[in-house]
Amino acid sequence: MEKSQYNLCIQIFKKFEQAGVLSQLILIGSWCVVFYEDYFKNSTALRNFALRTRDVDFLIENPAKMRVNVNIPDLLKDMGFVVSYSGRQGYMKLSHTDLILEFLVPEKGRGVDGPVDLPGLGMNAVALRYLNFLTENTIQIKVEDFIITLPHPANFALHKLIIGQRRIKQDKAAKDMDAAVCVLKTLIANNQLTLIHDVFNKAPVKWQKKIIEGLKLTGDRELTLQIIKF
Amino acid sequence: MRGVIKGVLAEELENSLRMQKDYESALHKLPQGCLVRKSIHGHEYYYIVKRQGKHIGYLYQGKSSPDDIKKYKEAKDLRAKYRNALSKLKKQIKFLKGALRGKEPI
Repeated sequence: MEKSQYNLCIQIFKKFEQAGVLSQLILIGSWCVVFYEDYFKNSTALRNFALRTRDVDFLIENPAKMRVNVNIPDLLKDMGFVVSYSGRQGYMKLSHTDLILEFLVPEKGRGVDGPVDLPGLGMNAVALRYLNFLTENTIQIKVEDFIITLPHPANFALHKLIIGQRRIKQDKAAKDMDAAVCVLKTLIANNQLTLIHDVFNKAPVKWQKKIIEGLKLTGDRELTLQIIKF
Repeated sequence: MRGVIKGVLAEELENSLRMQKDYESALHKLPQGCLVRKSIHGHEYYYIVKRQGKHIGYLYQGKSSPDDIKKYKEAKDLRAKYRNALSKLKKQIKFLKGALRGKEPI
């Protein structure tokens, strides 16, 4: 990972912290792996898993409950971020040559057509299925002088196994599966297999089936047996 | 199927191309020219200096408000950042296109 990317990411966290937004956001996506290194302390497997895009995704558990009024595009303007819109429905992203920020919310009920407005942040968000799996069990990590919230690595990995099957692009699916395997193996190496079982057992039966299917797709028989044998 | 690495690179190329358009559009939206102060017979007047074809033109603004001065100062800083970003993006695009040209499914 480029140091400039990491430094920029830290600067963004600082800005969010100063604006009082950081505590209401959960960092998800492949950038979590960077901070899981701190959680596992000296995990070489995670350090070697360096494949990630510039996308930094922030999850908002319940946008209706957000009590902030900060214009994120204005907040990050002086850092050189520009607003870009993707898709016909105009999903907002904040782009920089080193990082791209996006906001996500869990999709509930019948789902929504188009982006979800975040008036308190001056942004909109993408609503996606299965994201509440990440909000159910979170950890907090101290980075420099502030605290960031991440999904627990077990939830992160099992979620990747589910969404990997929903990807249209096969290479993205393979990347999700690789990340899941890497984090699961690190959890097992750190004696947290029972924790994976707990997270698995708490998931709805349909999701459990999807996780098992995902595990089979990884082709890692030993890992699959370790997780589903209990 | 293309490999995972090529998939990531292709996604990044797509991002860089989109970003290039976004930065060009943001650059275009900034107020053109630079606000300069001139002192004439002890009085201060402001001019917008901007290129007009081959020439550099000075457009008289009179006594600009602090808001205008701030607006042009911000625009100047942002213009430098956006131009720097565009230069970086051009290099990224060149590199990514080159990396994706290979036929190996990495």
